Amino acid sequence: MSGRRTVFEIYWEILVYCRSPRSFTSVINRCDLNSKTGQEYLEFLEAKGYLTILRDNGKATYQATERAGEYTSLFSSLYQKLFDSQPGFRL
Amino acid sequence: MNNLHNQALIQFRTEIRQFYIVCILNLIFAALAMGFGISFMISAILGLTAPPRPGMLIGAIATVCFGLGLSWLLSTVRIFKGIKVINHQLDAEGTSITDDRITCLIVRMLTHYRDNRKTIGKMIRGCTFGGICFFSLGIGTSLEAISILSDEITFTLNNLMVIPAMLLTLGIAVVSLLSSYYFSKFVKIWDRRLLEIDESECALKKNLGLGEQ
Repeated sequence: MSGRRTVFEIYWEILVYCRSPRSFTSVINRCDLNSKTGQEYLEFLEAKGYLTILRDNGKATYQATERAGEYTSLFSSLYQKLFDSQPGFRL
Repeated sequence: MNNLHNQALIQFRTEIRQFYIVCILNLIFAALAMGFGISFMISAILGLTAPPRPGMLIGAIATVCFGLGLSWLLSTVRIFKGIKVINHQLDAEGTSITDDRITCLIVRMLTHYRDNRKTIGKMIRGCTFGGICFFSLGIGTSLEAISILSDEITFTLNNLMVIPAMLLTLGIAVVSLLSSYYFSKFVKIWDRRLLEIDESECALKKNLGLGEQ
């Protein structure tokens, strides 16, 4: 996904994508990030305990932790509420 | 599937489908507007050789209509592309869409809206101005004479053959003005959603342990 996203939307996207272990390259490609910002986001999420790094034969992959589930479900409920609370667009 | 998910899916799907219809209507009428602009421009150029050169004003309005039609078409294509992808994905997923998938499509739509917010704003103004131009063009090309007295208005049409063209031009004017109205409505609703997202960011910050910043 590209375009103007908030940092919280990017975090959500990374965490959902990393439910199965993913390499750094696949995360930045999928989430349309450059290496510098991608590294910053991954480091932040790792520091907060939402991502863990798995190392296998020198190859590092990122996987979302159980704690990430709290964030992703809160995010989903907040975004889905946008279509629940107010009258929407009608012809 | 929980209630919130269900409600959000119904609402989101309805909005995307209806906005998709508005975009398709815009594409059709923008193309017609361009075509009419060209046709009136040619007629005006051909009419320039014959005195008393009534085609000059019509030619000027037709040129403006052509330009507006072209920019209307290009802007609509840009907005339409994003909506089309989201609409097709929603249709492809059907009712078995997962919670993450619906959130992903909502985020995608918000991103598309943020990217095209200025363009939609321009389209609102352009469609209003275009509607007025087409309205003038429709009236201007079909009337031979008009007289307004204190108690009556009389007008003479150029030729019965111009009535279908006049009706189509007026149709474009109506669609143009309606588009402006629906785009304004769309912007109002999605701007409020962007505002709600800003407000809900506090909860997300708290969850991430960032606190109030």
